Amino acid sequence: MAKLTDLSGEGWPVASSQKNSTDFDEKLGTSPGVWTGGEMANPVPSACCVVLAAVVVVYAQRHSQQDSHIQYERVGADVTMKCGSMDWDAAVTWTANGTDIDDSHLNGSYLILKNVDLTQSGQYSCYEGSSWHLKYQTYLRVGTPPKEPVLMCRSNNYPKGFYCSWHLPSPTYIPNSFNISVIHGTREMVCEKDIFPKNRCHIRYLQLFLTVKYKVTLTVTNALGKNSTSLTFDEFAIVKPDPPESVVAKPVPNNPRRLEVAWQNPSSWPDPESFPLKFFLRYRPLILDQWQHVELLDGTSHTITDAYAGKEYIIQVAAKDNDIGTWSDWSVAVHATPWTEEPKHLTTEAQVTETTSASTSYFVPPPTTKICDWWAVRPWQCVGQLDWSWLLMVSSLFSEYAPSWGHERWGWVLGGHGGLRGSDVVGKGDTKQAVGEEHWV
Amino acid sequence: MAAADTPSATTLRRRDLCSRGIRLARKMRSDVADLLDIYVERQGLDASISVAAVEGVPAAAAEHWSEQTGTQRLLDNLAAYRAFRTLLAQMLEEQREQLGDADAALGRALAAVLLQVSAFAYHLEELLELESRGPPGDEGDGPPAPPRLSLFEQKLRGLGVLRELAQWAVRSVRDLRQLARPGPGAGSAPGLAEGQ
Repeated sequence: MAKLTDLSGEGWPVASSQKNSTDFDEKLGTSPGVWTGGEMANPVPSACCVVLAAVVVVYAQRHSQQDSHIQYERVGADVTMKCGSMDWDAAVTWTANGTDIDDSHLNGSYLILKNVDLTQSGQYSCYEGSSWHLKYQTYLRVGTPPKEPVLMCRSNNYPKGFYCSWHLPSPTYIPNSFNISVIHGTREMVCEKDIFPKNRCHIRYLQLFLTVKYKVTLTVTNALGKNSTSLTFDEFAIVKPDPPESVVAKPVPNNPRRLEVAWQNPSSWPDPESFPLKFFLRYRPLILDQWQHVELLDGTSHTITDAYAGKEYIIQVAAKDNDIGTWSDWSVAVHATPWTEEPKHLTTEAQVTETTSASTSYFVPPPTTKICDWWAVRPWQCVGQLDWSWLLMVSSLFSEYAPSWGHERWGWVLGGHGGLRGSDVVGKGDTKQAVGEEHWV
Repeated sequence: MAAADTPSATTLRRRDLCSRGIRLARKMRSDVADLLDIYVERQGLDASISVAAVEGVPAAAAEHWSEQTGTQRLLDNLAAYRAFRTLLAQMLEEQREQLGDADAALGRALAAVLLQVSAFAYHLEELLELESRGPPGDEGDGPPAPPRLSLFEQKLRGLGVLRELAQWAVRSVRDLRQLARPGPGAGSAPGLAEGQ
């Protein structure tokens, strides 16, 4: 068979330029008379045929010898690409994403990439010499084998079942596939993949109260390697409800130290009547770091009775099954400020009068001292400006409004050579300290 | 209308017995957990060791738990705790034979749990009486005499007994809570997975 003529070069073996029709025919392998070299035929259909033939030839050349595939290599590896079936000493041109590669990366016709990095991922093509016939093409993807995956299993809808979710601690930059197996005793169970998120599957409990543990194994595989991890647990250990929902906190009218808090069971908990939850409530004024805690064995509401008057509070709730598992994460935080009386405005110092009645005492700041609205601003901002005799008088005022406060709280207010020491505050009254037995963080 | 809303004396009594039973079961669970720690340590066992199902030990596992009636729950619980009463007594005897007075702590812990198991069984009998069902006879309810086992097999068997008892303690809390629920069919919880 005659060699195909290179149509990418200078001349098209058009009929009009052919002096010897036989030669042309041999070259093109066409039947005599089609390419009318000798006889002058109609030039327009001849040109069309030539163009069509050229297109066919180019297409054939491009797809006859090229290998187009994906090649995966590790970061840091040395990569050698061979230009298809070309000899080592053939003249070739390599491109990366359409850009010519410098000859310094070539060893004969081989392309050498040393210590590849992620930026070198892309399409690599090899063309023959000056003819630019595509001889080889590959898509290089630089990545890493997978590290040990992170697997977590949890039951937030006990006793219906549990789910497992996973992720890789660091990206591999190439496609990964995950396979999860669940063994319970001698039985293999099917973990049904969730539609969303896609790195999650769930299992329905077929039995409850089993002593036999579950073993979940996750294997991640990519073109550069594989890795796996396993978890073994019993039915109770992974029970962790979602946080309570719809937490609401509001002041109680005419009660400057109370806040009413209410919430709902997490909607994912399927049967709170048969499997009731208990709750942990924590709250603190924004200005302090230490939380107060209250554990509630039933009900979905609570009244805080020891709030600091006029101070904005942040409040959160967590949930746990009464008997098994661990506490949920904290709920979304809500803010609330206890009810306060309308503030009385002081106009000038001269209009402030002092009385000695314990029930109707007002504070009288020293003449050289800035007036502080005690209920509106942070009181410790005033402390540094006042002398101790004034503070002793103010103490009578506080003892009237906060008779249940102990010395430690008074120490908080007077902590006052330096100001406030919030860590000294200790829960009192109706509050309880956190019970530490159940995995508090 | 007020009369219809007022729970009957039987209902109140049931709720009271269920509440007390739940407290008993929780205390028992806590003590069994402590006993397990002592047992594993004293017997030189690995806490994570798997133990196959032991013959004669009532399994707490339930396949259609939510569909059980209250009476069935009580009967299952009573049968289990009567069996545990016998099993714990056997364990106590074995422990005394093996260690004598050398390990008083383990013996005391076993005896304490045995006492609680007996008390809980009696409590269940009271509940069954309330259901006008009456508890079944106690003869022949106990597990068969254990086969002649090696010392290590005895230890593993004991571990299996205690683990299963711990599961039963949790299940009993759930069962009694179902039983205490107001309304008809106290004992079948709606809306759970079909596997339950």
